[in-house]
Amino acid sequence: MTTVLPHGAAVGQAPTRRPRRWKRLLRDNSVKGWIFMVPLILVNVVVILIPGISAVYYSLTDWSGIGDATFIGFANYVEMFSNEAFANALWHNIIWTIFFLIVPMTMGLFGAYALSRLRRFALFFRVAFFIPYIIATVVIASIWRVLLSPDVGLGKILGINFLGESEWALGAVAFINNWAWWGFLVVVFLASMQGINPSLYEAASLDGASPARQFISITLPAIRPTFMFLGLMTIIWSFLSFDYVYILTQGGPAGSTEVLSTLLYREAFTNLNAGYASAIGVIMAAITGVVVAAYLWIRKTRDWEI
Amino acid sequence: MNIDRRGFLALTGAVSLAGVLAACSGGGNSGSSAGGKIQFWNFFADADNEKYFREHFVKAYKGSKEVELTVKSNDTIDRLVQTALAAGKGPDLILTPGPSQVAAYQSAGYLADLTEYAQKYKWNDVLAPWSLEASKIDGKLVTLPTQYESMAFYFNPAVLEKNKLTVPDSRESFEAFCTEAAGKGMVPIAAGNADWKGANEWHLSVFLNHHAGGEAVYSALTGKTPWTDPIFVDTIELLSGYFKKGWFGGSVDAYFTNQFPKLYKQLASGEAAGMVSGTWEMGNMRPYFGKEAGNDADWDWTTFPSLRKEVPNEVWDLGIGQSTGINSKSADVAAAAEYLNFLATDVKTLTKAIEEVSWPATPLKLELADFSANADPRLSRLYTELPVAKNIGYLTWTFYPQETETYMIQEFEKVITDKMSAKDFCAGIQERFAKEFADGKVPTAPKPSGLAS
Repeated sequence: MTTVLPHGAAVGQAPTRRPRRWKRLLRDNSVKGWIFMVPLILVNVVVILIPGISAVYYSLTDWSGIGDATFIGFANYVEMFSNEAFANALWHNIIWTIFFLIVPMTMGLFGAYALSRLRRFALFFRVAFFIPYIIATVVIASIWRVLLSPDVGLGKILGINFLGESEWALGAVAFINNWAWWGFLVVVFLASMQGINPSLYEAASLDGASPARQFISITLPAIRPTFMFLGLMTIIWSFLSFDYVYILTQGGPAGSTEVLSTLLYREAFTNLNAGYASAIGVIMAAITGVVVAAYLWIRKTRDWEI
Repeated sequence: MNIDRRGFLALTGAVSLAGVLAACSGGGNSGSSAGGKIQFWNFFADADNEKYFREHFVKAYKGSKEVELTVKSNDTIDRLVQTALAAGKGPDLILTPGPSQVAAYQSAGYLADLTEYAQKYKWNDVLAPWSLEASKIDGKLVTLPTQYESMAFYFNPAVLEKNKLTVPDSRESFEAFCTEAAGKGMVPIAAGNADWKGANEWHLSVFLNHHAGGEAVYSALTGKTPWTDPIFVDTIELLSGYFKKGWFGGSVDAYFTNQFPKLYKQLASGEAAGMVSGTWEMGNMRPYFGKEAGNDADWDWTTFPSLRKEVPNEVWDLGIGQSTGINSKSADVAAAAEYLNFLATDVKTLTKAIEEVSWPATPLKLELADFSANADPRLSRLYTELPVAKNIGYLTWTFYPQETETYMIQEFEKVITDKMSAKDFCAGIQERFAKEFADGKVPTAPKPSGLAS
């Protein structure tokens, strides 16, 4: 008979060696998780945290983007809020956001609902709607530039220079961007709709509910988390939109398509006003921060889940 | 070792910070001249140009050190150079888009003083005096112009002959030219800014130089006359009036969507009567005319006419499209200067490049004898007359400070779309210019006449 000691070594035997501390640490799942997080944390610190803090700092300076920066307090913000170009760009971002909250979201919802009802060719339509989303922006912009051209395209037929007339340009650029975007929403909404229990629709049908009533009373409440999430992302992405505007109109004609990101780009890299551009960037981040905070607050107060 | 969550976070933060600091600190003074070669970053319009440059400006160079060329994209090279310089690195030779950027680099201490090399290589004797004057900051020569340009009036001789149009040489004849061309259903002046918004300032520069005149512009650039002076307001009104008549691009909204290839095709086909653009077009237009395009179209050029009696008949709009300086942290400034001298002043290499690929020249004082019999007379004429110009005008991207230039490009569109008056436009120029003038950001402008030495 041997006596067992509390930590496992039997009397008369050489005591078992305790595992090394680092080995024990590695066995701890929470530590393992943190170790896997290290590369991501490093990347985020380098590409998000440090540039983010730098942007706030530089927004308080007269930095040109080259050489030293001098602290000037809130002068960039004072100038920005009294600047017509900033107000103009912000207004265009608001219009852009409203457009993308209404048009592609509506198209995406109805497209997904229609697809969810299809029994044949569903995959074909899903792929067809999604393809524009994976085509390079510059390719889509070039295609639509020709399609809307006042010399050979739709512009010639309708007698409208969509990208050349101030009254049409912002809508035309938003339309082109939407063409590439709404198919993505269809796929996401469809995936969400496919998670709805089919028996709900069967029961509703038996009760005589029309497809419209089923959409309103079953589909929409069931996909509300997805709807809310995509709405949130639409607002964030709308304030970051840059590529289609820059490629198609560079903010023109006469500033009619200028948005905050193109204004920021011009101030930073053309005018060499990196400090002022940083202030624009900080305001853009603040706007999206407010939107995210509002979203989180709504989720919390209404007890919604994603 | 026990490690709790806080400890782990602290450790992670410390490791991250160390990594970042290590990445930011750099490994020495400069990455330039690594391996004993002169580091040079450049960009090219196309693969042919790149190949030609490698062959004749890099491999053929027989200086004290070899050159290592790194090709960057036109869209990103400025940003890459800025980032590299901020990190204390960067190539030995620093390519810049012109004097505005040079001023920022100079104030940050990135550029070596080239004054002693100007004496050593006698740059004052071989390069146009105005170009060296425009390359100085606080009396120090900090870059050399490696590309220069002017504006020209382009036309297709056969089209003009067929339509009984004559090349304009005054305001009256320019207006008659446009009126008659429009009456024949032609676009009077092929123009568009869909590919490059900066095209706005080409037209502004031309009209300021040829209507307000070099003297008036020089006076404004040196702070003596405000941009709100009636002469400038009249100039803007005249130009915007021509735009609103549809003389530039066919119509104002067509101007916003016309792309460059369309303009060249219009000029070649006779759809347009003329074109006002930069001398860089002499290379760009080649594929649209003659054998290469499968047509018998031809083009020629002349200087844009004077639009006011008080302005000399022949005014050459001058600008520097590209300046090159030397990194103050270069391991071998002397070797870099030797190569820069080759790039900017080697007559044989440069004239051959002009002849073979329409290479944009440096402001060398060239003579017709420097060119071979195969040279395109349109190009040899340009590069022999331009360096000895008697009356000059000022291109905005060379002689105007950055914010003023950007304002002019952006806001001119509001003038031609009736969203802003010419008077308010000029007041906006004055507001920005006055600030930049006070901050010392206005590049040095040479006098408008008597420059030829």
